[in-house]
Amino acid sequence: MFILTKIADLVQITPSQFDQQSHIAIENNINAKYSNRVIQKIGLCICMYDLLWASEGLIGHGTGLVNVNVEFRMIVFRPFKGETLFGKISGATQEGLSIHTKFFDDIFVSYKELPENTEYDHNEKAWVWVVDEERMHYDKNEMVRFQVIDETWRDQIPDSAEEEALDKAKKLSPYSISGTMMKEGLGICLWWDES
Amino acid sequence: MKILEAQSAVLTNIEVYKFLNDQAKQYHDQKRRGPANLETLRKEMLQYFESHPNPLSQKPLPYDTSAIPKLIQRLRPYEISKGELAMIINMRPTSVANLNAVLEDMEERFGEDQQQEIVDIVIEVLGQFPPPAEEEDQGDAMQTTEE
Repeated sequence: MFILTKIADLVQITPSQFDQQSHIAIENNINAKYSNRVIQKIGLCICMYDLLWASEGLIGHGTGLVNVNVEFRMIVFRPFKGETLFGKISGATQEGLSIHTKFFDDIFVSYKELPENTEYDHNEKAWVWVVDEERMHYDKNEMVRFQVIDETWRDQIPDSAEEEALDKAKKLSPYSISGTMMKEGLGICLWWDES
Repeated sequence: MKILEAQSAVLTNIEVYKFLNDQAKQYHDQKRRGPANLETLRKEMLQYFESHPNPLSQKPLPYDTSAIPKLIQRLRPYEISKGELAMIINMRPTSVANLNAVLEDMEERFGEDQQQEIVDIVIEVLGQFPPPAEEEDQGDAMQTTEE
């Protein structure tokens, strides 16, 4: 579910941060830039794991910024294809179920990936698994186990500098996961844990 | 920014959970706060890890990072892949149905006896939730750990 990614970057420490110890200023700058952000084809950055190397600080001309070259390892959320994880149902449509992990929202399980004999209840707006006449609901906020089958990356670079294009680009989710529940043991946790 | 190595290691949930908890404690002791984006994310992640039935929601914690090499050693005879081992540590399957959710083609690879043996090893090394009668106490214990 989590990996470490080795990254090199330039950190710029502003004069207002000069009262902080260098390693704290560097860590804060790295986390401010990366934490909770997606790097394409890498994953969702969580926070700096450790600082591997830092250069001497060089003061920039005319800006007063201290430039430091750094190498560090980042904790990254990147479940692999085939990985099973916990999630919570955040909503249901005729297309399938939306799942979140509290810190990551863009997970979707298509209706095609729900077990056989699962139907959509239009009144309750929920998917229902019918087993021997018993109707088991995929209710909102239920904890589930799901398996990752695919991932989609979308660059948020706008088509132009116009506001409309900027808004459109912002709405794209940079990293989304599709999952399945079509295997014994997957789906609502309570179904399998009560024994 | 330059990516030097896309994936230099895999971390299990218990390792990330411990790292974030230690960080929160360290920041608190040093009377400093991280950037707002990190503070929010850390809080959400700790909440995720502490949601039932995630094994890390059990208090006191049922296992720590020292359980990882122990589990790997005990499961060696079963030829379980590295990815599957990571899932076993994260999901802690304590029944055959839950084991099926983390092993590929379980029924073809393992006989029924072996499936139960693996589950028994998981319970022995990583623990399991106490029976439902004691659940309320566990619920209270969980509350107090949140800030």
